[in-house]
Amino acid sequence: MHEAASPLSRTPAVSARSRVLPLLLVATPVLLALWLVIWPAAEAVILTFLVPGEGGTEVWSTANYARFFGDSYSVNNFTNTLWTTAVTTTILLVIGLPLAIYLRFAKGQLPATVQSLVMFPMFVPSIIVAYAFIRTLGPNGTVDIFLHAVGLPRMRTPYLTPWGPVIGLVWDGLPLTVLLLLSGLGNVTRPAVDAARDVGAGWLAILVYIILPRMRSSLLVTLSFNVLGIFSSFTLPYLLGPAAPEMMGPFMQRTFGDLQDVGMARTQAVITFAVCLLFGALYVWSIAKGRTKSAAGGKS
Amino acid sequence: MSLLSISPPTPSLLTRLLRRTGGADWFGLLAFIFLASTIILPLVVVGIWAFAEVWRYPAVLPQRFGLGFWGEMLARRDVWAALTTSLELSFTVTALSMLICLPAAYAFGRMEFPFRNTLFLSFLTLRAFPKFGLLIVIATIFLNLGLVGTFAGVVLIQLVDTLMYMVWIPAAAFQSVDRRLEEAAQDAGATPLQVFWHVTLPQSLPTIAAAVILTFVGTFYETEGAWLIGAPTVTTMPILMISFINNQLVIQYGAVLSLMLWVPSFVALMFARRVLGGDAIARGLGG
Repeated sequence: MHEAASPLSRTPAVSARSRVLPLLLVATPVLLALWLVIWPAAEAVILTFLVPGEGGTEVWSTANYARFFGDSYSVNNFTNTLWTTAVTTTILLVIGLPLAIYLRFAKGQLPATVQSLVMFPMFVPSIIVAYAFIRTLGPNGTVDIFLHAVGLPRMRTPYLTPWGPVIGLVWDGLPLTVLLLLSGLGNVTRPAVDAARDVGAGWLAILVYIILPRMRSSLLVTLSFNVLGIFSSFTLPYLLGPAAPEMMGPFMQRTFGDLQDVGMARTQAVITFAVCLLFGALYVWSIAKGRTKSAAGGKS
Repeated sequence: MSLLSISPPTPSLLTRLLRRTGGADWFGLLAFIFLASTIILPLVVVGIWAFAEVWRYPAVLPQRFGLGFWGEMLARRDVWAALTTSLELSFTVTALSMLICLPAAYAFGRMEFPFRNTLFLSFLTLRAFPKFGLLIVIATIFLNLGLVGTFAGVVLIQLVDTLMYMVWIPAAAFQSVDRRLEEAAQDAGATPLQVFWHVTLPQSLPTIAAAVILTFVGTFYETEGAWLIGAPTVTTMPILMISFINNQLVIQYGAVLSLMLWVPSFVALMFARRVLGGDAIARGLGG
């Protein structure tokens, strides 16, 4: 196109082209996302509220959800997933928060090494985590070998109990949790902590009055990411968890693949959407509330 | 997000650390011991199992080391079939993803057009749904389209998974190219294509390469989509590993497979990590 020498004569043609060309360039990935994410999700929500009526018609009904929540096995799986989420998130915060605070304020070689270790699980695929878990904590695993070596009885293995997925998911979720908490700790300055220490505040007071209030949104992001991650999980619960109660991931897979109950699998999927949406909304609401509060505070 | 470099802890490093901290950093030391024993030790155990020919409970170390199970593993036809399938899938998905995402990334990074921001952010919806539930509802659609149990179905489902990072990371790379260099090349008489090929592309290449590596490794280890859509005809490496774990065939099989597959991907990811932040990698791997 360089033969069009005059920039003036070129401008209209280019601007007409430059409006359509970029849209063409982005069309394929955008349409693919529409076709395989937005549409299936929207369609699934609608289909779960439709049940076959009389004469081959379909009528609006909450029968699918009544069936799910009326079935004790399904409800057990659902509450088991909520339990796993609560326990995993609590453990992640209990381990992750001290680590993040340490990494935020400590300097030197040891914190650098600790940070490398914390980030390490990012580079290990779930399937290998599951295998390593079984070889370490499973029956006759490394822990049993060590216990035997020092003359202690075998431990009760968490493998194939509800604690199996919890341990696997904590292992898997630690890097992201610490990263999110670290970004929240960016709001906590060393002078603020030092000032509190100067007036005699203990570490618990500093944590409760200085650090945690500034990390509210980061804690909520951590929470909603964990809810999303755990309700999305399949490999770790499938390989490490008990046959019953299952977590939603393996339960959906079995309903779809083994029982071939497509409608029920879809209902279960929409229920996981709803839970994650709830926590997503909680997060957005808290951000919005925080903004209004600080705006009002600024005015008064 | 700048992460500190990851280096394997060695005894000399540990003594250096102790000397530096002078025993004052007790929390750091405890954290180090805790993390090393819970994060590194299980992987070391896998490494030992891979080279253990005989390891009977309750011996602390294997009775006999050797490469016997590596030979056995490499002679198995299902391993080669799964490896071929996994590589075919990863190459196909990565190539398709590059083909459709890189031009889009260029448009997002460098062009002005209506709904640019909305469309760019629309890729976030890919991560807004719990993945397995989304896979289930996609699978119900694929069931009607006859795509369940087909190679094409698995390609499509894995392709969707790569969209966000193959658009977002390269878009940022194209955006950060030094415009003055491009203008200088233009002034010197280069055609737009020449400018793109000789100035824009080389500058954004490391970041794009990192995104491609993330996509490739992420696709190689993608388990859920391949399992749900591909079963029972499409067997990838992770799915083969699941069956090894569930059937408890021979303990060493899983260890050899883990080590064989993980070491190359680990090296590739280390390279990607040097170029990108750790955060991007966490998401790229599916968290």
